[in-house]
Formats: sequence, C-alpha cells, structure tokens
Amino acid sequence: MLHRLRSLVDALFRRDRFEETMADEVHFHIDAYEKDLVRSGVPRDEAARRARVAFGGVERVREECREARGLRLFDELGQDVRYSARILARNPGFAAVAVLTLALGIGATTALFSTINTLLLRQIPFEDPDRLMVGLKTRDGQTAGPVSTPDYFDYRELNRSFEDLGQFSDNTVQQTLTGGARPELVRAMFVTWNVFPLLRVPPSVGRHFAPEEQQGQSSTIVISDGFWQRRFGGSPDAVGTTVNLDSAPYTIVGVMPRAFRFLHEVDLWRLIDRDDPFETQRDSHSFSILGRLMPGVSAQQAQSDVDVISRSLEQQYPDTNTDKGLHLMGLHGAMVQGVRVSLLLLMATTVLVLLIACGNVAGLLLARGQQRLSEMAMRSALGAPRQRLVRQLLTESVMLAMAGAIVGIALAYWFQDLLVELLPMGSTGIAPAIDAATLGFALALTVATGVVVGVVPAFRGTAVDPSQQLNAGTRSSEGLHSTRLRSGLVVFQVAVSIVLLIGAGLLIRSLMHLTTVELGFNADQLLSGTVQIQTEDYPTPEERNLFFDTLLEDINAQPGVVSATFINKLPILSPWMDWQIWLAGQPRPSAANRFMAMARWVPPGYFDTMKIPLLEGRDVSDRDVPGSPQVVVISEAVVRSLFVDRDPIGQMVKIGWSDEPYQVIGVVADARLNRLQDAPDPALYMAGFQVGDTRGQVAVRTSSDPNLLVGPIENLLRQQDPNAIFSNPATMRSIVDDALGDFRIVILSLSIFSGVALALTAIGLYGVLAYHVRQRANEFGIRLALGATNLTLLGSVVRRGLTLVGVGLLLGVIGAYWASRLIQQLLYETQPLDPATYASAVLFLGLVGVLACVLPAWRATRISLVEMLRRE
Amino acid sequence: MDKTADLLPGTLDMLILKAVSLKPLHGYGVLLRIGQISKDALQIPQGSLYPALHRLEHQGLLTARWGESENKRKAKYYTVTPAGRKRLRDETAGWNRLASAIAAALEATPDEI
Repeated sequence: MLHRLRSLVDALFRRDRFEETMADEVHFHIDAYEKDLVRSGVPRDEAARRARVAFGGVERVREECREARGLRLFDELGQDVRYSARILARNPGFAAVAVLTLALGIGATTALFSTINTLLLRQIPFEDPDRLMVGLKTRDGQTAGPVSTPDYFDYRELNRSFEDLGQFSDNTVQQTLTGGARPELVRAMFVTWNVFPLLRVPPSVGRHFAPEEQQGQSSTIVISDGFWQRRFGGSPDAVGTTVNLDSAPYTIVGVMPRAFRFLHEVDLWRLIDRDDPFETQRDSHSFSILGRLMPGVSAQQAQSDVDVISRSLEQQYPDTNTDKGLHLMGLHGAMVQGVRVSLLLLMATTVLVLLIACGNVAGLLLARGQQRLSEMAMRSALGAPRQRLVRQLLTESVMLAMAGAIVGIALAYWFQDLLVELLPMGSTGIAPAIDAATLGFALALTVATGVVVGVVPAFRGTAVDPSQQLNAGTRSSEGLHSTRLRSGLVVFQVAVSIVLLIGAGLLIRSLMHLTTVELGFNADQLLSGTVQIQTEDYPTPEERNLFFDTLLEDINAQPGVVSATFINKLPILSPWMDWQIWLAGQPRPSAANRFMAMARWVPPGYFDTMKIPLLEGRDVSDRDVPGSPQVVVISEAVVRSLFVDRDPIGQMVKIGWSDEPYQVIGVVADARLNRLQDAPDPALYMAGFQVGDTRGQVAVRTSSDPNLLVGPIENLLRQQDPNAIFSNPATMRSIVDDALGDFRIVILSLSIFSGVALALTAIGLYGVLAYHVRQRANEFGIRLALGATNLTLLGSVVRRGLTLVGVGLLLGVIGAYWASRLIQQLLYETQPLDPATYASAVLFLGLVGVLACVLPAWRATRISLVEMLRRE
Repeated sequence: MDKTADLLPGTLDMLILKAVSLKPLHGYGVLLRIGQISKDALQIPQGSLYPALHRLEHQGLLTARWGESENKRKAKYYTVTPAGRKRLRDETAGWNRLASAIAAALEATPDEI
C-alpha cells in the first residue's frame, strides 16, 4: 500500500520526468524491434512500418500506463478544475456573489465552532479532567450554592467514591497587599491544601500547601505566575518572601505555572481558615466542594453515594439539614455553565444562516444549470458519460465553496476576535483559538457545502436526453421540476428567516423590559469606587469611622458634588451576602423556615444619596456609634415577612450569627441589589459606624459628569492617607449597563444574523422571481399583445412571489412556536409566544417579500413586444 | 496460429515476473525472453506489455532503473523485488494446481464415472 502511494506521488509530482521516461521506453522498444527485423532481412522502410504496427497505438499504451499508476483520476480532476475555473472566470459576477455568500456562512460557522470546540467540547487542561467533580448544595432539590464546612467534613469522611474532597471559594476577594514599595489590591481565592494535588498540577517554583498548614489560621500563600512576574519580576527569591495581606503577614511558599487557572483569574491562593467561627456552623455555607472520582466509579454512583450521606445528615441534624443535599457536576460543565446557552444559541443561528446561504447558491446553480443544458447535451453527445458531467459540475460547486472557505477563514479570524471580546468568556478561564481541529472542521464544512449546494443542480442539469435538448435549440424552457426545487428553496429560506426574526424579536423585547426595570435607586449621575484602609493604621473602629467621616465631608465640599455616601456593598456591583434575620423574642428558626436578607451597613444619608425612599421611621444617625444600642433599617420585603400585622418600628430583631438584638428604627423601599432579572431583594441596613469597617464602596451623587470627580477624589485620599487605596472608579450607570452586557451581545449577534438571513432570503426570492419572469417573457409578450394590462401581469408575478412567502411564513411560525421554548431561559417578562413579536416579525418579512417581488414584476411589464418576438 | 496460443487472462503478469526473475531485463528483452522460454508458443501483443510492467512496478513487485543496453543505448531495466518473487512462487503453485486439475478432468474416461 505504501509502495503504491509512493509510486503515485512520484508520478504525480515528477510528472514531466514520468512522461519523458515512458516515451523513451516505448521508442527504445520500437527501435530495437526494427533493428531485429532489419537483421533478419526485412528492408529498412518495411521494418520500421512493421515495428510500429506490431506495437500498436502508442498513445493508448501510454494512457494505459498512466492508468496503471492511478493517474487517470487526477488527470480528469485536473481537467475538471481547469474547465471549471474557465467557466467561473467567464461569469465573474456569479462567482463573486456565490463566493461571498459562502464565505460569510463558512466564516461565521468556523469562528463559532472554534469557540464551542474550545469551551464546550475540549477538555480542560487537568489530568483526567472528566474525573473531577464539583459539589454544590441543594435545597428541596434545587441547586443553591456553596456547602457548609461541617457537612463537607462528613461527606469527605463518609463517601466511598472519591479519592479525596477539597473546598474552594466560589468567588474571589480583594485584599490589600503591603510590604513592598507600593500597596496593591490583589485578588485571592480560598482553597483547602488538597485542591492543587486533586487537580494534579505541580507548582513551577517552590511547593504546594502542606496539610499541617491547614490547622487554624495559616500564614502561607501560593501565588500565580502573572502576579509573580508583575510583583517579583519572576525571581525565584519570591518563594520564602513575607508579604502583608490586609496587614497580616503571609509567607509565599510556591508559584503555580503560567497556564494554570482554576475557575477564576487570581493573584494568589490562601488556605481556608479553620478557626473562622462561621466554619463550625452547619448552616453557614461558604465553600464549594471539589473531588476526584476513584478509578472505576461513575458520576452516577458517586451521586447516589453522597445522596445516602445527605439523607443520614438530614436525620442527624434536622434543624439545619432538612431538605438539604449535595449535587455533583463535572468540573468542565461547571466552568462553562454561564456561556453554554448563549453559545449554542449562536451556533444554531449560524448553522441556519449557512443553510440559507447554501439555499441561495444552490438556487443560483440551478438557474445556471438550466442555461447550460445545451452545453451539457453537447458534451454528452460527444461521448462524455453522465457520471463525468456530474463530477465536473460538482467540481465547480466545490471550487466555489473552496474559494468561499479561503475568504471565510480569513473572516473567521476576525469573527473570533470579536467573539472573544464580546462574550463573557473571562469567567471560564479558557481562551479559544483557531487551531488544527477548527481548520479541519472548516475543510469538512467546505466540501460538504460544495456538495450540498451542487448535488441537486448537478443531477438536474445533466438529466436531459441530448437529442431532445439539441433539437430544442435556443428555446430552453425551465423544467417544471427545477422550478419547484427553487420555489421550495425560497419557502425554506423564508421559514428559517422568520424563526430567526422572531427569536431576535423576543430577546429584544426582554432587553427592553430589563433596561426599563425599576432599580429601586437612582443610578444616574452617580460615581462609585472602592476605598480601602489598613487595620494597622486604624486599629479601632472609632479611628476608621473618623477616616470615612472626614473623607465624606471632604468629597461633599468638592464642586459638582451633591452628596457622598458609602456602603459595604453597592447594588448590582457587589451582590449577595445574605444573612438570617428573625424576631428577637423567638428562637433562631430552622433552616427550612428562616428568612434571609442582604446584609448592608451604611452611614447617615445613604438612602438620601441613593434616592431609596424612606417609608417609615428614621435613617441611621451619627449618634448610632460603637457602644450605643444596635440599630437596623429594614426594607419592605423584610417587613412583609416578619411583621405581618405589627408596626415594625421599635421592634427588636436578631441578625446573622450574633445573639445581640437590634432595634428596627426605619423601613425603606426594596431595591434590586443582586440581579436585574430578579425581583427586588429584601435588605437590612445596619449603622456603618457601629460596624467600623476598613473598606467601603463610595457613591457620589454629582450635578455634572461623575467621571470628572475621579481625579479630585484620588487627590483627597492621597492627602489624607498615602496607604489608602481608591480602586475601580466607575459610574453606576455603566455598572448597571454592564450587568446586561452579556445579554446585549447575544441579542446583537442574533439581530445581525437575522439581518443577514433576511437579506439573503430577499436576494433568493428576487432571483427566483426574476428568473421566472425571464422564462415567461414569451407568454407575457403574447398576453400583452392580446390586450392584457400591465397591472394584471404585475399582479400575476407578485401573487406568485407572495404565495412562496406565505407558505414560508406559515411553516416558519410553526417552527418558531417550537423553537422559542428553547430560549425561554434567556427571556425576561416576555412570553415565548408574545403575539406582538410574532405579528411584527411576520409583517416585516412580508414587507421585504413584497419589495423583492415588485422589482421583477415591474420588469415583466417593461417587456417590449417586438423585442420579445425577435428573440425567437 | 496453429502453433501459438493466446494468453489466458491474468497470466501475462506471471510470465513477466518469471522472465525478469531469471535476469534483469528491459521491456523488449522481456518480450524476447517470454518468446524464448515458451519456445515461441505464446504470443504477446507488444503494446500490452508496458501497462503490465507499469502495473507491476506500481504494486512494488518490480523495480526499475536506467542502464545501458547491448547496443550502448539507454534502456529501462526491470528487476524482481522480494515481494515479486513471493508472488511468482504463489502464482506458479496456483497455476500448477489448476493445470493438473484441469488435465485430470479432461483425461477422465467413462469407467471413472
């Protein structure tokens, strides 16, 4: 086999030499025979003649030799390619339209495939990645976030499915790093010591955490390669160095490799603190679980194993563990969860657009096939077998697709960059790139596209009896079958377009609902940023309060500032942190009956600045300080849940894990604190000065552009405390807009794709009708001569076009009815069968359809009778 | 045509392999050698020799190199490869089995039925 391949390749690539030696060999034979004949007494002339006759046809022999080498297929292919190139070059307009149409389709599909291949199909860069599982808590069977540490210990102890279980934090924390030239905000993630060994990624320098370092409050950290390069210039001396994180000393023990990323992009990893009092509570849920399945144990077996443990925990700790469980999912799945729906939606859309593009090119080829029937008949009459003609036409369409692919792959690189920029891919920690697999996919796609668009036209175009066709002369009337095929293509295109339009319409309506959603606070002309001071500089709450109080006063004194305030977590920007709240007179409710509210702490005037209405009672005041009775302002949703028929003002409540009572002093309106898509969140606001935090997110209401205040605030801080950090200044409006960013992108891409689909469909419809008019020019001419008016002709063409559109719309609406359920997950306050969306999409496409019909119809009425009859 | 016989299909390859296995030959030499060893009983159409040679070379049963002929002319000489020798042995054995079976069948007499 190898030998044959080498022999073929040899003959192919050194074709000149092959032909030359073959000729030499034949000549040598004939000469030698001639000499032998002469030697045996035949006259020289006669000998030469007899030698030639005895040998037979030289050309036939050489052709048989080529065939013996397997060259024939290639020769014919070469002929087909050359012929196709000539034909296509003769119709540059047709070729350009077809190539560009296919390039768009192939380019977009390839870019999306590369993204999907990297994110959804390819494995993450850990050893045996499909053995890695993530465990999340469930409540009543619903997945509900992190797991409590005591539960984790039980799962780790009792399970028989995992090599080991570790814990990690779902999100990252910002900490201040000091102990070098400049203070710096760094991003940290909490893990247990065994997370790195579970992932089986060795450190590039130094070591992992040691098991004994997990005891109590540890003081070691492992840093990322990026942070190592940035802060230490990649020096190996970094290992062993001690730095301060939020004023506490930590020693760097190791550096992880450059490519290492586990769920989040962070600067360093810290050990989970086992002395934290929250971590001994079975109803405090802070960390997710990571586990590696033992060899031979399936994910299902592991799930039923932990289910058994969950049930026994429920019996043992009914107060905290009723209806609580553990849900296992693959690490890979957990990493791409956020983008999966958007990506698959985009991929489905792209494939539909590619199909529409194929439809157009197939339509073009069909029409051209009809014009070339005579050519095919002629070649057939000259002895070309049908198989050969089909192959030649397919070569043509595959060549079109190839040209489309070359342009398309260039486009794909561009699309890819766009996608990476637009999609929320930072969160997955995987960067897609166009690689060999993608190019292979593009190649397969191209050949498939070429065959799909070419196969029907090729068989249709050669299925004619040559004698009939040649007799028919120039009057090539389109076969009924071919017309039906093209009409079918248009119906299909209209149907797919309407599905895309309705999908885009539904998402756009959802976005409209989301952008006009009532936030519960005023996000306009509001600047936000995070201020961080060091505990060592301000050891007591009073000192910290003084710092923030002075800062607010100074900011308020700036020109253009209406008022300034701060809070531990600003709405939308910093979500969650929900604490339990219950009436002070009652025992702490069990997990099943408890009520959670977002825990926030604010200085006096916060509600004023944010424009959150105070409904009852009073705001926190500057008399609510450390040592005075604890006070809290609650939102309406808390009132509804805790104080059904009582005035809440003056009542005592308990909050979180402390046993100290708080007095309710005021009620404010609910606001959206976490997600725009969710209902306004219940919240409890404690007095910021009674908490005395070292960190605050400031919000400054301005009378002009909020961004103008970034510089002045930074200056103020530098004067007040050079160690203080002001980070991430941004307007609240941009933060709210960013929260919808992902959604906008999906809608934007779907809208663009729908637009492309619509344009392609209109072109396809126009093409079919224009061709139809040309074919019936005779008939129209005669009808005009017999007294038909232009209007009747116009009507007959438009009617035909609109029938196609109508059938397509009907099929498409049925398709959309089914498809819109698939995107339900992405919709917000919009029904999948929203009548307004359906009606406007149908109307819009119908309008485009009419436009695409009118131009060819108008042409039909311009046919000159004389010219028509002359054409014959 | 009384003393010559047409080739059975598929036997040309076997004859070429046999001829070349005795001594490396050029195409014309193969023709002469087959005539010689078959005592001029087998007629080979001259033109059909070359596609067969190319086919055998393509299959790796023969190799070819350029050498000098008896009359000092450049000619393409064919040599049998080990794979070619093995094929020749197999084909010869197959042929002998077939030939003796057919001969036995044709010599059958009425008593043997």
